[in-house]
Amino acid sequence: MSSSLSPEGVDLSVQLAGMRLANPVMTASGTSGYGPEYAPFIDVSSLGAFVTKAVTAQERKGNPQPRTVETAAGMLNAIGLANVGLERFVTEKIPFLATLGIPVIANVAGHDPDEFAMVSARLDEIPCISGVELNVSCPNVSGGLDYSTNATQLEALVTTVRPRVRRAALIVKLSPNVTDIAEMARAAVRGGAEALSMINTLSGMAINVDTFRPLLANVTGGLSGPAIKPVAIRMVHKVYSEVARDAGVPIIGMGGIQNWRDVVEFHLAGASAVAVGTNLFVDPTTPNTICTGLRQFLADKGIPRLTDLIGQLRT
Amino acid sequence: MTVTVGDSPSPPRMLVGCVIANQALCREHFRLTLRTEAIENALPGQFVHLGPPSADAGDDVSRKGTSFAPIPLLRRAFSIAGMRLVEGDRCDIDVIYRVVGTATTWMASLRPDDAASMLVPLGNAFPVSKGKKYAWLVGGGVGLPPLLWLSEALNRSSRSVTAIIGARNRDLLALTFDESVEIPVDGYSASRVSAEFAANDTPVILSSDDGSVGFRGHAAAALETYYSRAGVAAGDLVVYTCGPELLMRAVARFCLDRSIECHVCMERAMACGTGTCQSCVVAVHEAGSPDGWRYELCCTQGPVFEAGRIVWPDSGGGVQH
Ligand SMILES: Cc1cc2nc3c(=O)[nH]c(=O)nc-3n(C[C@H](O)[C@H](O)[C@H](O)COP(=O)(O)OP(=O)(O)OC[C@H]3O[C@@H](n4cnc5c(N)ncnc54)[C@H](O)[C@@H]3O)c2cc1C
Ligand SMILES: Cc1cc2nc3c(=O)[nH]c(=O)nc-3n(C[C@H](O)[C@H](O)[C@H](O)COP(=O)(O)O)c2cc1C
Ligand code: FES
Repeated sequence: MSSSLSPEGVDLSVQLAGMRLANPVMTASGTSGYGPEYAPFIDVSSLGAFVTKAVTAQERKGNPQPRTVETAAGMLNAIGLANVGLERFVTEKIPFLATLGIPVIANVAGHDPDEFAMVSARLDEIPCISGVELNVSCPNVSGGLDYSTNATQLEALVTTVRPRVRRAALIVKLSPNVTDIAEMARAAVRGGAEALSMINTLSGMAINVDTFRPLLANVTGGLSGPAIKPVAIRMVHKVYSEVARDAGVPIIGMGGIQNWRDVVEFHLAGASAVAVGTNLFVDPTTPNTICTGLRQFLADKGIPRLTDLIGQLRT
Repeated sequence: MTVTVGDSPSPPRMLVGCVIANQALCREHFRLTLRTEAIENALPGQFVHLGPPSADAGDDVSRKGTSFAPIPLLRRAFSIAGMRLVEGDRCDIDVIYRVVGTATTWMASLRPDDAASMLVPLGNAFPVSKGKKYAWLVGGGVGLPPLLWLSEALNRSSRSVTAIIGARNRDLLALTFDESVEIPVDGYSASRVSAEFAANDTPVILSSDDGSVGFRGHAAAALETYYSRAGVAAGDLVVYTCGPELLMRAVARFCLDRSIECHVCMERAMACGTGTCQSCVVAVHEAGSPDGWRYELCCTQGPVFEAGRIVWPDSGGGVQH
């Protein structure tokens, strides 16, 4: 296809729940640390947005190792939300993030709605934090329920956090380990989510056939990487067409993204922005090569704005 | 005082390496030499995170190449076994690897002019203590590679260096034997039988679990025998060890019991290699913390740890390894 549009003339910017992203490619939580780790390899400020590792009220050591193992076209992880905790995050990690000049989204996890709300409220006060992403895929130890798989619990959680996040965008990250992800999306939107990110990892397990033992010390883990991309695309498509489009709530798509073709798929399925996770381990420069590829693709297609692609799936 | 050899390492970069050679050293072990842009400073103990060359933007089939070997998704960590400046502005990096799974099978399929992607140099380095007259390198299995490069660096710093290298049997010793040298079996006589160590002026004591070469027993037992006969004061000695964790634990215990300075090069399952994923934790003692221990990352705070800092698995205290 020929067009007079040059790659440089393509507009990759997106507006996302009040945040302006120069391009749609962000990092996925837990795969890029707190920012400085990838600075030797990529200009972190060239990202559309930076998403942090989960932050919890207290420091968490996480699970015993082995915590990760490669599986066919993907990997399992059971990190166990290891993180420095809220106070050290604020004093040690924010200074670098504040220099980036791009939207920074803090991923938040907790045991109960009050912990989610307390951590979110504290992060909402920090000027460089543009978004708070609730990682609801952790078991609710008190009630024995998981916020990510029970719509009533999820709505209650988001409703509790909602009034405490006044300035930053409130994003809810959906788990794929549910019967009907659209129902969970509806619950999150009813609770006040301004954007949905999806998908988190798929529950999985792998066994060492020599020792008869699980390969992860935690026995089970979360599957990520190219293996889960078709699942993610289908879920974004479902949530976009059944919930998000009509509600006007943007989707941040992720799951197995390796290159610009994958990103185009996510946009066509209905994602407004995307995140790269596992592939950062393979190639920390992936977000940059994706942007280059996207510009060329859109120029070749004669599409001047990336936003013209969102939800354009033809069925 | 503890200082490292040379300066501090250069920041890591992602580089494409061109295969110069990929040579079998013994059953299951190969040496892969990759040529790349010059790296200003890398130090023994540091590692390279190696994987297939990245796909270009959108070219999602290029990763698959034409090879029939399954291609790993994630990179794998390999200690730098040697590094040389060549052609003025290039450098050759050696890794020695044992074929154990997907990635190492892919590596064994590499031919000259094939490409591999590297994040390098990563991790910390073996500290070189000034004032120690003797340095002993105790290794087993795939723990050999970093010790080879360390012997080169230590040889330059002119101290007495001895290597104590063990394997399950002779076929698994990734060393080139000088056939004219008789291999002592007593566990305390070092010889120049290994061409690699001899090139660094480092005599070596070999051991094997089955007695098929050198001393019968594992390398920690050889260390004990050698120490009992060497007449070296504990305070004059530093021990560096790399190999299976059980071996390193035995070496660490031996040294700690005698107040011998000891540094261990740890191995952990890694995904990122750069400190982002929290995969590669090593439990270390931390006085003053509520539990008395915490995790450090093998990829950025290691792989080299002082032996006394590590919470070894049988030391109790409710540590989760
Ligand atoms: C800092 C660091 C430095 C390292 N340096 C070296 C080095 O110099 N040379 C080297 O060969 N390896 C080295 N390793 C280990 C190397 O990273 C692994 O052997 C490699 O990841 C194996 O990848 P694979 O895909 O081939 O095997 P996988 O498919 O990941 O593993 C296959 C199976 O083999 C088992 N396995 C893994 N490693 C070993 C082993 N060493 N012996 C026996 N079984 C094993 C696994 O538990 C698994 O069951 C190092 C690791 C670290 C963390
Ligand atoms: C090692 C690792 C750690 C992760 N940690 C978090 C986390 O702390 N919070 C979270 O919401 N998601 C976490 N995730 C999930 C990712 O953000 C992402 O949703 C998922 O991996 C799918 O994307 P990918 O296939 O591109 O990796 C983690 C994933 C991996 C692989
Ligand atoms: S391998 Fe990812 S933090 Fe060490």
